[in-house]
Amino acid sequence: MGGQACVFYGAAEFSRDTDFAIVANPSNLDRLQSALSELQAEVIAVPPFSIDFLNRGHAIHFRCNSPDALGMRIDVMAKMRGVDDFSLLWERRTEIELAEHGQIALLVAVMGIEDLVRAKKTQRDKDWPMVRRLVEAHYFGHRHEASAARIDFWLQELRTTEILIEIVRRYEAAIPHALAKRSLLQHAIEGNQDALTAALREEEDIERAADRAYWTPLRAELERLRHAR
Amino acid sequence: MLAPEDIVEGEWADWYRLTPQERWRESERLWLVYLSLGGTLDPEPDTQSPFFDPSAPSAVAADGRTGVRVLRRGGV
Repeated sequence: MGGQACVFYGAAEFSRDTDFAIVANPSNLDRLQSALSELQAEVIAVPPFSIDFLNRGHAIHFRCNSPDALGMRIDVMAKMRGVDDFSLLWERRTEIELAEHGQIALLVAVMGIEDLVRAKKTQRDKDWPMVRRLVEAHYFGHRHEASAARIDFWLQELRTTEILIEIVRRYEAAIPHALAKRSLLQHAIEGNQDALTAALREEEDIERAADRAYWTPLRAELERLRHAR
Repeated sequence: MLAPEDIVEGEWADWYRLTPQERWRESERLWLVYLSLGGTLDPEPDTQSPFFDPSAPSAVAADGRTGVRVLRRGGV
């Protein structure tokens, strides 16, 4: 769901870890623990690996020590702000085959792009160019196969003024529904690039503030755990 | 109709035109180059990240040694 997913969908990120969204229940955590044991993975930061911390929205950070994955970092999360429950994420996943020497070696589930975009709306500067690129790449890659769902996705998530102004003219029938959910599209309809830029910035600021507020109690808990070590 | 070059620089436009599978393979190739140059798998310090720990040890190369020796440095 992290950097590799961004690479897959077109927004290059040099990812140094692998992020997993998981369902946090006892049987699944047992399976995860088995896989982590094979990788000789150890928890490298607070919080400890437990279902309670996962269900409260924390990430668990591991580093692998097995020779074939030496130094690889793995982050595991079960809840993300603004992102649906795991069952819906799983329904919307993309599956890819990683082939090795012409043989099908591995089936990998990648978070669906609409969920990845939502997950990337954080307080961090680095995530916002990624959101823009993810949706741009999706638009350029699929605009000749525009379905109703894709048009709605672009109208709700594009952050590129030029494209927004272009698509509100092309997909007029979808505008009333989209406008009810995203009022800044009115500036795109009017072709007012300056107002649209300002409204996109405001939209980003609101998401960043919401993310900071979401993380405030979790950060305090992490701080307490660090001091208790 | 807008072209990728109308929005982003050529390098990004090329990246957008790759298929997801091609991007994955290219990323794997870049990983190998990065690691061969002694690149670290530790996280970049990011004070905006909720997971940032200022007391965490600084980054070291994945295998404890770099594949590159610095022979000369600039003034900064």
